[in-house]
Amino acid sequence: MSLDVEVLDALPPMGVAFARALVPSRPGEARIPAHAVRVEGVRQDLDRLAAYSRVCGYTLRDAVPATWIHVLTFPLHVSLLGDRRSSVRLVGAVHASNAMTMHRAVTSAEPLTLEVRAEGLRPHTRGAMLDLVGRAQVDGETVWEGVSTYLVAGMRVPGEPSGVAREPYSPGSPLALWRLAPDLGRRYRAVSQDPNPIHTSRVAAKAFGFARPIIHGMWTHARAMAALEGRVGPAHTAEVAFVKPVLLPATVGFGATPAPGGFDCAVTTRDGLKPHLLMSVRSAS
Amino acid sequence: MHHKVVVVGGNRIPFAKAGGPYAQASSHDMLTATLDGLVARTGLAGERIGEVAGGAVLKHPNDFNLTREAVLSSALAPETPACDLQQACATGLETTMYLANKIALGQLESGIAAGVDSASDAPIAVSDPLRRILLEASRARTAKQRFAAFARIRPRHLAPLAPRVAEPRTGLSMGEHQAVTTTRWGITREEQDGLAAASHHRLAAAWDRGFFDDLVTPYLRVAKDAILRPDTSVERLAALKPAFGGPDGTMTAGNSTALSDGAAAVLLATEEWAAAHHLTPWARVVDAEVAAVDHPAGADLLLAPVGATGRLLARQGLTVDDIDLFEIHEAFASTVLATLAAWRDEDYCRGLGLDGAIGEIDRARLNVTGSSLAVGHPFAATGARIVPTLAKLLHERGPGSRGLISVCAAGGQGVVAILEAV
Repeated sequence: MSLDVEVLDALPPMGVAFARALVPSRPGEARIPAHAVRVEGVRQDLDRLAAYSRVCGYTLRDAVPATWIHVLTFPLHVSLLGDRRSSVRLVGAVHASNAMTMHRAVTSAEPLTLEVRAEGLRPHTRGAMLDLVGRAQVDGETVWEGVSTYLVAGMRVPGEPSGVAREPYSPGSPLALWRLAPDLGRRYRAVSQDPNPIHTSRVAAKAFGFARPIIHGMWTHARAMAALEGRVGPAHTAEVAFVKPVLLPATVGFGATPAPGGFDCAVTTRDGLKPHLLMSVRSAS
Repeated sequence: MHHKVVVVGGNRIPFAKAGGPYAQASSHDMLTATLDGLVARTGLAGERIGEVAGGAVLKHPNDFNLTREAVLSSALAPETPACDLQQACATGLETTMYLANKIALGQLESGIAAGVDSASDAPIAVSDPLRRILLEASRARTAKQRFAAFARIRPRHLAPLAPRVAEPRTGLSMGEHQAVTTTRWGITREEQDGLAAASHHRLAAAWDRGFFDDLVTPYLRVAKDAILRPDTSVERLAALKPAFGGPDGTMTAGNSTALSDGAAAVLLATEEWAAAHHLTPWARVVDAEVAAVDHPAGADLLLAPVGATGRLLARQGLTVDDIDLFEIHEAFASTVLATLAAWRDEDYCRGLGLDGAIGEIDRARLNVTGSSLAVGHPFAATGARIVPTLAKLLHERGPGSRGLISVCAAGGQGVVAILEAV
């Protein structure tokens, strides 16, 4: 499949595209852009990487976390969904799942070519689903791929929704408790540059049906990966399902079970009865 | 010692000036990167090491289990135990001896000795009066008691306290102490600048010949020691203003170590363990001694290793002529020069209870790949930098070559050790 690629001079500033992306989607037929957006020669900011690592619980190393590269591609998500050719907007779209693959260790010194495209628009019982497919390359070699799947409630896509299998979860006692401070949303916003007010403002959170701000799903994903540092090889795949948002402040549970080639993990309520996030991580053999 | 203890490898990250390229890195980050570099080079991923001993001089209260936490972040097996030790600037040598002794006694087969310090990420404390008020408030049972405690806080209590490298009993900084020693031993500015220039030139030459390729792992885009100035010269150093000892002082920023960030680690093992892991032993740990002087009564703060050196050599039946290479930690150029002067001084050595002068050495055998003036001195890391460096140098010279390490430390203390190539 050949796609149009729009090459941007730099990662888009959080300006007009962001403002557009922040206008919630209006009910109607879902449309997504057919083109991909790409930025070349993206240099990684070490100070920001250090701050990101502190907020997410990672050790600052030469090799960067897979979730960090996702954060670098985030302005392209915004740019793509802020495009006039998209009727789907970022705000109001619920991050449902992630599949992220690190093909090899990537160091903070490597300039990256980042590309994101939207695809897989499909009907869902509550609206429409789509994938934002990201790729990071170093000198033409694909080093990282990430698929973020979003659910856009109230939008229509022709066709019949296929049944979505619920992730199996059997309640267990958490191995660790994480205490999430009320300002975690602000701290993560500062390093992720995701301005969605649902994570920082009680008013915005209420407008979307949450009693309090919710922490970014990408923080929870990153924190769970940080809990496995040193146990997962540099080349690995993580599949994450965001089951239920975490309202701030919160104390949540975390558990990891060894599985062939990796771990199955859950971020749960503190009693371990209900999952917030389910993740499977497998090292590349 | 029952078992022969061998140094089979080492790793460090390049050292850098405080506030430089590692300004955002914590001690945990640097120690983990250092351990992982060692693990990658020696193929120990997933391996359970007997014990890891590490430490830091500047330490956050949350880092009480710094080394164990770094082990858990590293690629070592999580069942690898670890502990924190602290012996000021000699920490990295003290952790080496702690593990070497356990291996010698048969308690361990392998160990990683380490040290790390970040002068950039130094802990900042609240003033002692404020700390006492906060503790009292936390013990208060009623709001009124709590309010009464808080009401005693004064603006002057709120100034944060950065750690000082000052001796609690004298109030003098290490540099001020060393300035007294420098004058007492008549160490000249020219000698100090000459030693500093040689340190930079020798370190630069060692980097150029690839000596550090299997001793250093790059970190945060730094591939080489960042303090190193290969093109420095005695003339350039002579232009610097005195930093210690008043306007007529001879100690400058150029012939004193810079506040530094960095981490280093040493892999120690029995010969059997090394063979089973296909690692080449570089040198065995022969013996060591820790010593102290009465600096509150006026003894030279940084010359404690002199007494330890004399006793250690005597115990091993050796003289300085039996030692091929010397590593004297360059806290200040004048520390090394005063140490050498003390070794030559019959009366001083007898005053320490030794049989006579330790002796004179050929400067060509001293700090042959440079030392702390050029590399930098992240306090706790320095000993763990020197041990693998010397072990590899001795291994290059061939079996039986001996080396002596002398590291001075705060509190009027110091640690001395002898290695021998195998």
